[in-house]
Amino acid sequence: MPKYQLVHVYRSGLTFLSPISNEVDPLMVLEFQHRIVDILIEYLGEVSEATIKDNFDVVYQLLEEMMDYGYPLTTEPNALKEMIVPPTIINKVISQVAGVTNVGNYIPNGALSSIPWRKAGVKYTNNEIYFDIVEEIDAIVDSNGAIVSSETHGFIQANCRLSGMPDLTLSFLNPRVLDDCSFHPCVRYNKFENERVLSFVPPDGHFKLMSYRVNLPRNQILPINVKPQIHIGNTGGKFDISITIRNTDGKSVEKVLLVFPLGKSVLNVNATCNLGSYMFDHVAKCIRWDLGKITPKEKTPALSGNFTSSEQTPESGHTITLDFQINMYALSGLKVDSLKIYNEGYKPYKGVRSLTKAGKFQIRT
Amino acid sequence: MSDYLYKAAAFAQNAAKLSKKVSEGIVENAREFGLEATSSGHYFETSEEKIRDIRRQLDSRHDREKMDGLKRLIAMISKGRNVSEFFPDVVKNVASQNIEIRKLVYIYILRYAEQEPDLALLSINTFQKDLTDQNQLIRAMALRVMSGIRVPVISPIVLLAIKKCMTDLSPYVRKTAATAIPKCYSLDPTQKDSLVEIITTLLNDNSSFTIGSVIMAFNEVCPERLDLIHPHYRKLCRMLVDADEWGQIVIMGLLLRYARTQFLNPNPESPRSDTQKKKKAFYSDEDSDNSQEFYDSSYILDPDHELLLRSCSSLLQSRNSGVVLSVVKIYYHLAPNAEAYKLGRPLVRLLRTHREIQHVVLANIATMATQRPYLFEQHLQQFFVLSTDPSFIRNLKMEIMTLIANENNITLLLRELQEYVKSPDKGFATTAIQAIGRCAIEMPDMADSCLNGLMKLLWSRNDSVVAESVVVIKRLLQLRPQDNADLIIQLIKSMEQINVPRARASILWLVGQYSENLVKIAPDVLRKAAKTFPNEADIVKLQTLNLGAKLVSFHPNNPTIKLLFQYILNLARYDLDYDIRDRARLLRGLILLDGNKENSNYGEENLEEKNESKSAILTDNLKKILLGEKEAPIEESPSVGRDRFIIGSMSLVLNHSIPGYEALPDWPSEKPDGSFRDSSQDESYKRSKAAKSLSSDSYEHYSTPVFSAYEKNKTKTDNYNLDSFYDSADSLEGGEKQGLTKASEEDTFEEDSSEGTSEDDDERTGVNNNTKT
Repeated sequence: MPKYQLVHVYRSGLTFLSPISNEVDPLMVLEFQHRIVDILIEYLGEVSEATIKDNFDVVYQLLEEMMDYGYPLTTEPNALKEMIVPPTIINKVISQVAGVTNVGNYIPNGALSSIPWRKAGVKYTNNEIYFDIVEEIDAIVDSNGAIVSSETHGFIQANCRLSGMPDLTLSFLNPRVLDDCSFHPCVRYNKFENERVLSFVPPDGHFKLMSYRVNLPRNQILPINVKPQIHIGNTGGKFDISITIRNTDGKSVEKVLLVFPLGKSVLNVNATCNLGSYMFDHVAKCIRWDLGKITPKEKTPALSGNFTSSEQTPESGHTITLDFQINMYALSGLKVDSLKIYNEGYKPYKGVRSLTKAGKFQIRT
Repeated sequence: MSDYLYKAAAFAQNAAKLSKKVSEGIVENAREFGLEATSSGHYFETSEEKIRDIRRQLDSRHDREKMDGLKRLIAMISKGRNVSEFFPDVVKNVASQNIEIRKLVYIYILRYAEQEPDLALLSINTFQKDLTDQNQLIRAMALRVMSGIRVPVISPIVLLAIKKCMTDLSPYVRKTAATAIPKCYSLDPTQKDSLVEIITTLLNDNSSFTIGSVIMAFNEVCPERLDLIHPHYRKLCRMLVDADEWGQIVIMGLLLRYARTQFLNPNPESPRSDTQKKKKAFYSDEDSDNSQEFYDSSYILDPDHELLLRSCSSLLQSRNSGVVLSVVKIYYHLAPNAEAYKLGRPLVRLLRTHREIQHVVLANIATMATQRPYLFEQHLQQFFVLSTDPSFIRNLKMEIMTLIANENNITLLLRELQEYVKSPDKGFATTAIQAIGRCAIEMPDMADSCLNGLMKLLWSRNDSVVAESVVVIKRLLQLRPQDNADLIIQLIKSMEQINVPRARASILWLVGQYSENLVKIAPDVLRKAAKTFPNEADIVKLQTLNLGAKLVSFHPNNPTIKLLFQYILNLARYDLDYDIRDRARLLRGLILLDGNKENSNYGEENLEEKNESKSAILTDNLKKILLGEKEAPIEESPSVGRDRFIIGSMSLVLNHSIPGYEALPDWPSEKPDGSFRDSSQDESYKRSKAAKSLSSDSYEHYSTPVFSAYEKNKTKTDNYNLDSFYDSADSLEGGEKQGLTKASEEDTFEEDSSEGTSEDDDERTGVNNNTKT
């Protein structure tokens, strides 16, 4: 019988590993590990061997605060920031150049906030709060353009820069499109269940307020449609891929990138496209077609050409993936109705924008 | 000469190594230089000189120098170096005024206290002093570090400190006290009684901030004392929503065990009738009607039991996958079957997170699907495999799909699986074929369409697809020996294209086993097989031998078959593989005894005489020996056996029990007395909550001038009502009423759609279309 189980997650090219000696909920461990990585990203900007090494003292302190005797302790970024100062570049430069450290200047005042996720005594000269409604379309489309499965999931990312202890109520014009929601712990669940409004005291800074599944008719038309035609012949093949824009409310589709993998045996590709540029990656054996921006009503972008292969019958059946985003457009049509603020006197500057983008958008060939 | 060449080669190799080393060194140095200006990278330098310098730095009077020294030490710890020799120098700094220095000292002490128990004791005084500090953070930190020092002598001091802190005003310190309990327990298990006492007191705490840690301590120290939970049960249920995420997981784990011992099984039917009901639910069109039916017929829940289910259900919306799975665990193991329908959606939602979490969730779904497939039927499409899924996710998804297949979704599923078969990834394609086979076995009604689908695959250009499908078809045909002749004939027809040995062997086996249905064709198959015999792979040769033997036993008087068989036997006799030679010898002895007598090529007459009586028996029973009923191999889903574990446990994911795993207690047969749960605890919690909070599931300690005023109104009704909220707010802020309503009108967001279209060309608004108010 092994003595330890190793639970690990792999993120940003690093493996984070915890040995487990006793029965424990594996998801608690995994979720905690991911939380650690999230916090490290929040503190260090990015997580890599170099950044961890450069800030090892901060990392040690964070781990010390986040976990005690194997149990998660403080994992809310707001609470942690009250105890450990993030290593900003400015702090570092000052300490290096002027030869004085920032240590000692800052001693936590000990007035921990009573709400674990929000700092006490936040002050801003400009009170502002922004919401980003981001929706991601996951879809599998077969070679005839028929939808095999498609689901759209959205989340609301907030950036809160409000002073004091504001209590917010966010309501939607059409909450009916929200289905199967999950919330940041700050949201009052019951209130949402009964009244379909989000009532919460926000954490300071960036946070993910909620995520949801878009409740759409099962066969909702996708905003973008890809039609691949591939003919495999002797030692090669022909392909013809066209993209049509549908149903985007007149918005243009941006950052369109189509990746079309070919078999390992493919030697060369000859193709033409009428929009953007394409590149054949000889190592990964795939065609990357970078279309940039597609405005509706323009002529249909298409990529056609042929490839040669060292095998008699090159393997087929690869899946095309598509990446895109549509600014200022939410597939669900979710609209914020109002944001009310209680408990604080000021009137904040508020902003909402929406974005629809491809999640796992795959086209079978 | 060769010697000289060899030396030259070795020299060249060494030179290459050296130059590589040098260049690596330069790169390394350059990196260090580059980083030194702005990062802590230089702390990782470990030359002897620097190490000696650390001692001086630790003794320095400047905080900056001390920090430098400490960071260097921590860096060395992280490199795995033993720096315990500095313990005395570090301990001196434990009382430093600088909090940053102290934190680093703590990290060091926790690391080495066990090795230097005597010196570690020197620091205890400082910690004790810190326990009375004004700053709650310092008090908590002191307790945390002190309890973390693993020196058994100090356990009484730690115990005292915990006692002191558990009455602290700050919930943060009380939480730390609770987390210190398991540490103290592991240090000195004899303290258990006093620790249980502390836990009992802490259970009275009404702060949702501490409760999670208290329950953690409870689970660690005295999980068997469920009697302590009685008076707090209702409070725990109500507090659940407000506790922190990790606490919620732990509390639900405890409540599950508690409920299993205190309530009666809500699904009194035996598990068998449960499956029957499930079946019924499949066939009927209106599931809702059915579930209603279950519900009515089912046993009436204890109100406390229901309370638990109700308090958990909103946590299905937590962002933390661990919490969601804990709720699922509670519902799966405690709720009436009809209630469990809630679980599908939230679980499927978790499939959008990190792949490690996906894996655990899928393993749990697979386990649940073996028992209650109906939970996930309607989410079939969510389990469709994406081309980017790693194989461990893919295989689980495929397994779940076959588990939840039923009459309604099978066509969809089969079409999807056929898609996977096209994949260039051979491993994936073959698992898909196996999945089709499993579907056919699970649902005999659908076996025909599964078989048809598989037969089509025989023309695939991919060898492994063909091979796997033949193997699966063989398995399916074995299940229905009566009417498989047509399909076998089709298989025979395709045999010429099939080159994969395993597939050819399977076909030959099928022909032999069912040769009575294939009177005309079977001998011809043998003829062809005999022709290609020398070039076949070993397993095909063995099956050819078997086929011949079976045919001979079936047509004992057909001279052509006998001759064919003899020809094959002769070929096999000189085969390279001894298995084949052995088999040939065995079969020859078994079948051709009389043949031998006639030819008498080998063997002695006498011996044959003696064996005659025996061989007569053998000949009589030949068919039985060769053509006995073979049981079809059973396709077991890999998740079988997982269902003996609690949902969400590590043991389930690994499919074997790991230390510390405790099976779920059985339901009691008699209803235990529930009156223990009537206590003032719940009431006092409700009261304290009502006084402090502003909504039924909200944060506590939330008192600000504006709020405290209308909270008084609120205490009357626990149900939070928006209208009354406004009313009270209005009446309170009379003058401001106008402003407030006005503000809320203004607050209405103008959505960007209208603006967006009019200013479509304006890139700036397109990107950052923030509406101002």
